[in-house]
Amino acid sequence: MTSPAGSLRSLVDAARSRLRGGSCRVVVQVGHCSASVGAGEVADALRAAAPSGVDVVVAGCDGACYDAPKVTVAHGGGTGSVHTRVDPASALELAESLAQCGAGPAAGEEKATDGFFAGQRRVVLDGVGEVDPVSLDEYLLRGGYAGLAKALSMTPEAVIDEVKESGLRGRGGAYFPAAIKWESARKFDAPTYLVVNCEEGEPGIFKDRHVMEGMPHRLLEGAIIAAYASGAGSAYAYVNAEADLSAERLQAAIDQAYGCGLLGEDILGSGFGLDVEIRRGAGGYVCGDETTLLNTMEGYRREPRIKPPLPIESGLWGKPTVINNAETLASVPFIVAGGASAFVDIGANGDAGTKIISLSGSVRRPGLVEVPMGTTLREIIYGLGGGPGDGRGIAAMAVGGPSSGVLPASMLDTPIAPGQLHESGVMLGAGGVVALDEDANVVGVVRHLAAYNADESCGKCTPCREGTPRIVDALDRLIGGDGSDADLDELRQLAEVVELASLCGLGQAAGGPVKSALHFFGDEISELADRRDQ
Amino acid sequence: MKPTRDQRNALRAELRQRFQRERGQLLPALHYVHHKFGHLPGWAMEVTGWHLGIPVSEVYGAATSYSELRIEHPGRHLVRVCTGLACTGAGARDLLSGITTDTPQDGGTTVEETACGYLCGVAPAVQVDGAWLGRADAGAVLDRLKAADD
Repeated sequence: MTSPAGSLRSLVDAARSRLRGGSCRVVVQVGHCSASVGAGEVADALRAAAPSGVDVVVAGCDGACYDAPKVTVAHGGGTGSVHTRVDPASALELAESLAQCGAGPAAGEEKATDGFFAGQRRVVLDGVGEVDPVSLDEYLLRGGYAGLAKALSMTPEAVIDEVKESGLRGRGGAYFPAAIKWESARKFDAPTYLVVNCEEGEPGIFKDRHVMEGMPHRLLEGAIIAAYASGAGSAYAYVNAEADLSAERLQAAIDQAYGCGLLGEDILGSGFGLDVEIRRGAGGYVCGDETTLLNTMEGYRREPRIKPPLPIESGLWGKPTVINNAETLASVPFIVAGGASAFVDIGANGDAGTKIISLSGSVRRPGLVEVPMGTTLREIIYGLGGGPGDGRGIAAMAVGGPSSGVLPASMLDTPIAPGQLHESGVMLGAGGVVALDEDANVVGVVRHLAAYNADESCGKCTPCREGTPRIVDALDRLIGGDGSDADLDELRQLAEVVELASLCGLGQAAGGPVKSALHFFGDEISELADRRDQ
Repeated sequence: MKPTRDQRNALRAELRQRFQRERGQLLPALHYVHHKFGHLPGWAMEVTGWHLGIPVSEVYGAATSYSELRIEHPGRHLVRVCTGLACTGAGARDLLSGITTDTPQDGGTTVEETACGYLCGVAPAVQVDGAWLGRADAGAVLDRLKAADD
């Protein structure tokens, strides 16, 4: 019997023997975002016009949305050039210049380092934007599946201990220790399921898509390790309804894994078996709630269930079910392969590892960044994002999405941390940061978030169903000049009631935007209330 | 649209071929029907319920709880303007009114808002007949609609 490490070695050897010797490699980043600005057409143009001997490869996006569509050329001798905001016409010019490719650097702009990448630490996104996501060979040659081979040679309990030691917490926003879920699953003598939550239906968050589009094998490797540790024999990847490209590339990775013994029975000769199937969502923020997600998989309405029982006790079809976010699982190979301490060393203030931040709004360089825990919002917005530009300043930032809230500029030095960032209820959540400059209307933004929560309320719990629209009504009265102090009281009360009396995370956090606004922007809101009295 | 008996039977045969008769197949089956017709016709939800052994009222209840499933057919063209925070900051409201004003009101084009297209880094974003346009302006959207009709 061959060991998992031995089986992996023969896969890597086979991958190396298939390696093409082309000295010129042109990588076009095509993802959900870049495809919307013409990256697919650029890739087609380059494929059609590139001279022979030049490999044109489609990769995922490296997160620099502001530069998309982006093409990188690797010449012989380790030099390269980066081409940004490429269109089909400039792609043709680039293709012509490639005739000399391989002989040395051709004419092409050397990318000035602009701080976007300098402040990042890439664990989950390592290699995203460089490798062909639908090539298992490329992943294997970068050391892929080494974490899995190592895990399979350990006992499940040892894998759990390693991940527990790393301090890995759920990156979907709840920050529950991942290994505790796996450990709990092992206590039940019943078939166990693993559900990979790639639903990502939260406005302003686009991280899991980038992982699936750019490095689907890393997610898959993490999922197999998690299934091994928790004793699950079947896994489902629940992918957002609109994330077609993500589902396509993840499916390709799954098919390849089945093709070479990384999925199915007896993975890498270890005796452990796992099946993975993709399920698609059909829209709705509330699907991010674990029990809602289970209901939709079982064919019921998109509504949460009463907890307890927790999914880990009675989840999918009443069986113990481990639900982990995609980013969480994609962190696992690094932890197992490199050891828990490598992950712990990355973080700060006792919080381990990195977090992917979806940065948008009023910044010169919006996109997706992966930074160590403990990085401040100022470093993210100004250092990586370049600030609003045009001499404007930041007035506020909406952090953590519609379940969280708004922080003022005075809180820019807050370090990101799992869970709460401020006692008013502002949380890191899934890691959305929308920068708002001085021109933005902060109360309008709060109304925007509150209206979203009201729209997305599934209607199961009365306080959320009735309370969230009344929060919007009260804000509308205030904004429209018909408000009074009574509306301020109502906002405070409603935020409290909705939080206390709702079943799921959506309802429990639906008062967040209002609570944080009353805390930080109380003067502005009180002024609105006073307007009518004058 | 009132379906013929043949249409019902044909759909039922297709579903039987693709989906096991179990409740967990409801959402995959609804996706299939939605993709086939561009929405979920009432009769097709009935057929889905018959095949899976789920009361039609529950099929309807589940189907209408999802924001991405439609029970009415949109216009020949479907334009969705993202009005999330980043897109709103990048002028999505003006874009929406520009597109609405310049689109013929003959019922052929449905224009609606969506809460997020997950394209915050290339805001504002507009989806035209399933394909997203980032850094969009009204001209590009109308060009795309015109090109689809030519």
